[in-house]
Amino acid sequence: MDEQNSSGAPAPAEQPKPQPAPAPAPAKPGTKVWLKALAALYAISLFAAFSLVMKADSAKKTPSKDVDISKFKGIGQSKKKGVGLVEIYGVISQGSSARSWDRGSQQIAKKIRAMAAEKDVKAVVLDINSPGGSVGAVQEIYSAVRRAKAETKKPFIARFGEVSASGGYYVASACDLVVAHPGSITGSIGVIFSVSNFEGLMKKVGFRSEAIKSGKFKDMGSPTREMTPEERRLLQAMIDDSYDQFVTAVAEGRKMPMEKVKALADGRIYTGRQAADAGLVDKLGDLQEAVDAAGELAGLGKNPRVIRDSAPLEQLMSLMDSRLSFGFGAVANAAAAAPSLEYRWYGR
Amino acid sequence: MSALETLETLIDRPESLGAAERPAGLGRAGLLGYFAGALGLFMFLRLESAVPPGALSFLAVFAFLLAANFFFAGVIHLFMDLTGAAAGPGGAARLFLAFGCSDFLATLLVPLGFLDKADFFSGALGFFVFVLALIYARVRLVRRLYPVSNNKALLAVWLPYAGLAAVFFSGLVYGIIWLVWLIV
Repeated sequence: MDEQNSSGAPAPAEQPKPQPAPAPAPAKPGTKVWLKALAALYAISLFAAFSLVMKADSAKKTPSKDVDISKFKGIGQSKKKGVGLVEIYGVISQGSSARSWDRGSQQIAKKIRAMAAEKDVKAVVLDINSPGGSVGAVQEIYSAVRRAKAETKKPFIARFGEVSASGGYYVASACDLVVAHPGSITGSIGVIFSVSNFEGLMKKVGFRSEAIKSGKFKDMGSPTREMTPEERRLLQAMIDDSYDQFVTAVAEGRKMPMEKVKALADGRIYTGRQAADAGLVDKLGDLQEAVDAAGELAGLGKNPRVIRDSAPLEQLMSLMDSRLSFGFGAVANAAAAAPSLEYRWYGR
Repeated sequence: MSALETLETLIDRPESLGAAERPAGLGRAGLLGYFAGALGLFMFLRLESAVPPGALSFLAVFAFLLAANFFFAGVIHLFMDLTGAAAGPGGAARLFLAFGCSDFLATLLVPLGFLDKADFFSGALGFFVFVLALIYARVRLVRRLYPVSNNKALLAVWLPYAGLAAVFFSGLVYGIIWLVWLIV
């Protein structure tokens, strides 16, 4: 029965065998070779770079003649030691505030001291483009240079831009070397005290000013009246004394006899070339030449690394300060103009 | 499976990266990629004198690379998840390891740095080309892991950089406003 049943029933269809999962496509044989070649190249370049960097590092520590890495620019040079650059631009005056981004004489003197005290700064270049300024402010910078030189024994180099006259030259006279363009305006060794007299104008407009004073010279230099001969004598004595300080500074700094400096110091201006002929300037050239000279004096060779004095934040603050004042600062300065003793040249 | 074999598989059969099962040896290859990339980047920066010498300096570069890529992989996966594209097999861990494999490209920086020092090639240009190649490779990897278009993958890869740039500029704007307030 079973047999019958089994024979009558249709035979079950044969179960299909499970197909094996499709094998992943074999990797292309070329890829492995390429990868191996790249790995080998990487290892070789890594080894070469590592040896070069190690050699450069050791050359920096102990300069040796058999290590020549000069073909690879910049690696062998020390990234640290360099020449400091301090900019002295514009009229030199005492700052109107203690803000670190102000460009008053206190801040410039502070920057000079800080730059000279830097371990990596081996010489300092003063980039001067200034017609001078008030006597006190100029002397503050001058004494900062003198003190920094005495304390650190680092060479100071002055570089003249368009103008470096009067107080600008006073500061430069403290430096070991003075570099100027042949056409830079310099000289103007002298002192000036300017007083305006508005007496006539004030009479015309019906304005009268009175001063109640403790002594007869207390309103000396007042623009509302004529100067007395006694006041003039007093002021002339002050001028003569300040002039003598200027001449002494130049004679000491330039190692020139006083008589020779006095002959040059009648207030006249010189071109850079004339000043070089007169012995007021050592070398004619641009900023790069000043930097090269500083590098050579400091034993760093030509084209040394230049380290700037200004911090980026202070630069930004200074820029914003000048922009945000919308020119009111200049107006306020003009309005507050008062007679002052100046090492300054009034040209442009 | 060696890292080289894993790389070979990923290059010849990139679809295996998006398979249900993680490709064998991906972890090892990814981490090795980060290490080799960090070493390449470090040597390039040393040749350019941009980083100080020493093992600690290298470790700092390596740690920075790992941390940045960990963050980037996390942000990209989060973006994919938020936009409904994270349904596939891709995950942040696999993306992180895949990015490690793309970092093998940083090994090219060593010969480029060498050529720059020998004055045959600009180092900045070389670095720019490397960054472009890296972004291209990462876009391809993101597309393998997530079912997204080229544009979306590019957006996802750029997103962390854009986020960081936005944070930086927000800080800068705030800083400028603060300075103005300080002066005025």
